[in-house]
Amino acid sequence: MTIIPAAAAPSFDRAAAFPEVQSVRTWCRQGDWDSLARHFAQLQTPDAVYFTADVVAEVPGVMNLLGQVAEARPSAILPKLLIGARAIDMAWEARTGAQAQHVSREQFAEMHEFLRFGEERLLEVTAREPDNGAAWAMRITNARGLELGQAEARRRYDRLAKHHPHMFFAQTQLLQQLCPKWGGSWEAAFGFARQCTAAAPEGSINAKLITEVHLEYWLASRGAERAAYLHRPEVLQELADAARRSVLHPSFRPVYGWVGAHSGFACLFSLAGEHGRAAAHFRALGGLASTSPWSYLGDAAQEFVKHRDLALKVG
Amino acid sequence: MVEMIEVDGVPTLFAPSTGRTAAGLIFRVGQADETLPLHGITHLVEHLALHDSGLSDYHYNGETASVYTHFHLRGSESDVVGYLGKVCDGLADLPMHRLETEKEILRTESRTRGGTSALPLWRYGAQGYGLPSYPEWGLARLRPEDLRWWVENYFTRENAVLWIAGDRVPDGLRLRLRPGVRRPVPKPTSALPQTPAWYTGDDTSVVFSAVVRRSTAASVYSGVLERELFRDLRQEGGYSYAASTSCDPRGDGYATVSAYADALPEKQDAVLGGFVDVLARLRHGTIDPAGVTAVQNKSLENLNHPEIEAARLPGHALNLLTGQRNLTVDELRAELSAVTVAQVHAVAVEAYDTALLQTPCRTTADWAGFAAAPTSSECEADGRRYAHREDGEVALVIGPDAASIVREHSCSTVHYADCAAMMSWPDGARRLIGNDGIVLHLEPAMWAMPYQEIGALDAGVGPARHLPQPARDPASIPRPAAAPPAAAPPADGAGNVGEIIAIVLLGLVAAGLGLLTLLGVVVGIASGGAEALDWAFLGCMAVFTAMFATPVVMLLRRRRRRR
Repeated sequence: MTIIPAAAAPSFDRAAAFPEVQSVRTWCRQGDWDSLARHFAQLQTPDAVYFTADVVAEVPGVMNLLGQVAEARPSAILPKLLIGARAIDMAWEARTGAQAQHVSREQFAEMHEFLRFGEERLLEVTAREPDNGAAWAMRITNARGLELGQAEARRRYDRLAKHHPHMFFAQTQLLQQLCPKWGGSWEAAFGFARQCTAAAPEGSINAKLITEVHLEYWLASRGAERAAYLHRPEVLQELADAARRSVLHPSFRPVYGWVGAHSGFACLFSLAGEHGRAAAHFRALGGLASTSPWSYLGDAAQEFVKHRDLALKVG
Repeated sequence: MVEMIEVDGVPTLFAPSTGRTAAGLIFRVGQADETLPLHGITHLVEHLALHDSGLSDYHYNGETASVYTHFHLRGSESDVVGYLGKVCDGLADLPMHRLETEKEILRTESRTRGGTSALPLWRYGAQGYGLPSYPEWGLARLRPEDLRWWVENYFTRENAVLWIAGDRVPDGLRLRLRPGVRRPVPKPTSALPQTPAWYTGDDTSVVFSAVVRRSTAASVYSGVLERELFRDLRQEGGYSYAASTSCDPRGDGYATVSAYADALPEKQDAVLGGFVDVLARLRHGTIDPAGVTAVQNKSLENLNHPEIEAARLPGHALNLLTGQRNLTVDELRAELSAVTVAQVHAVAVEAYDTALLQTPCRTTADWAGFAAAPTSSECEADGRRYAHREDGEVALVIGPDAASIVREHSCSTVHYADCAAMMSWPDGARRLIGNDGIVLHLEPAMWAMPYQEIGALDAGVGPARHLPQPARDPASIPRPAAAPPAAAPPADGAGNVGEIIAIVLLGLVAAGLGLLTLLGVVVGIASGGAEALDWAFLGCMAVFTAMFATPVVMLLRRRRRRR
């Protein structure tokens, strides 16, 4: 009997992959606006701005700092962008992650109030800076939460794509809207995921959208369809191609979002019973993980450990 | 060069022009001067005055707008003399024998002309500048004396301006008008406690209006807004086919900037979103200087028309009539050229702050920071409270000063003193329209109230604001639903199934009882004469049998009749 050592639980903390996340949190907590603003100013891509804004948005009580700065500097863009990000965080917290029918009328009202508050600021940000990718991406999330409609969410993405055709975090937000659960269709969702994947440069993480759309379809299907879906050769082929094109490609670089991308492939291959393929992604993660998509399956840490151990045993 | 002269005491603008003579007589009166019970009176006067003009071989017309009424034509000198003379003579002595016919024509015109914009109603309420949104409800009640009084007040020499574009002022031109006074434009009212505001329309288009200080920069802003809407919504997005704007002086130093964009039903949310983004961009100063220049150049180009002075006469005349500054072509050219991006931005801020947005059906604009235009009154009337006969969640309150229909989260209250008009039907139905545009519609059959309360409403509003309506088709008058379903035989389906179940159950009981009775009789006879008590018992059994059998027979007969 071979004894497999019980491996440690992974680290879901984004600071583990990106040490600067810890500094951002510290500046937020200390109210060090200048350092925070300096950090944002040197970020190179809208995905980096979006990712960092999301880190800020998760700091409890950060709204005090943001409100003060916004008031003191009425024409500054960054505080408004971050207020928009924080409002989204608070709104979805108010809504809770439950399915729509289990969310109370009061919870929806509170959610919408936060979203409207943020949306007004983001509307100003995109009006002043029509190429502010992070703001457009957040407005795509807002279009979904405020139920503004498919065409409006798509319009927001098109405004953004004019300036940033391959912004991954915006694409993953629109993909949610395009799924049937938010009023879209599988045709639109798969079409969009494939189109973004094909258009993105090789080695970029955009192909993670393929794992997202297959996972959404799998989660929405039932019974025999669900049991068989991820084992279908064409599904596996598409996942393998997507991995090869992105996180397994030689020109892949660990950009913001890379942990989520490897996690997505590791999860989908595990669910498909392709533990050998999954192992490559678990190894690349090296003890790091993102909660999504593992949290879809149950307790993120337990699910991760279970599937990783299985994969490493096989592969 | 525009010359200023006088014809029979009427200030007259003259500009040379080749070809046929064009002329127009403008009076400072329009729909905004009316009240809801009189709404349509200016238009009716215009039609009656034109009736006897009697000439049909040239183009002549009349136009009733918000703050002016315009009689204009293009023709020979003698046509001009004849037409304007007859208009004035018609005003002096309106052909009242045509009154009912012209009312009918106006009703037909309003039906064929199609929908009016609801924006004025939401911005100004059921009065003044809001009236163009309403049907000409006053027509039915207007009498000859009302029309004469209106003409004496408004269609006067002092309240008119004439313009002529032609070779010269035609010989023999006479304007026989009564003396009077110049009437200032009405003061604007407001039905919007907060702006920017929105309300939901009933189609897929997006419509916008704003009120800004009148300026050349305002007209450039309107042009820039049109360019941006057209580019975003049509050229880039493909969500709209039409996107247009206009900038119209209100006559009081302000101008109304209006914008419109249509939408395919499945794209209406994107048109709304794109529209809001364009407004926000201009408001926050993201204005392309090249776009401003393009609008300036286009406007300047329009001024190069060889007869531009003549073409601008109607606008000039209106400025004179409303006491507004009028720019010469050279002045306008200079102002147009001098408009800066910063000035356009300043107008955009003003426009955003006063904006009123009509969103496509089933959409809102609260997410963009727009306030919902009121659809409910702030407070309810104090008075006698009555229940609705069918809807337990709604109540009617009739008090000495006001009436309300009250729901859980909203109410419609009309104070009699602030009631613009009340429509009244012979069957007792009443519709009160508040000056703020709030409507209270009362169907007397639907409320558990004494009929005298209708009299209380009638007295509260007062006859001067009643709008009597023709009798309604009795079938269209709402009444509480008839209570017993037996009155109307149920069609096939649930009712039919119930009936069959009843027949079977009742039939089984009747058959059982009948059998028992028969058995009793047989046993009684066989046992050689039973006692009197037993016969009484059997009699009772027979009666019970009949009690259950009768409804079965009745139901069966009814079913046979129905087939």
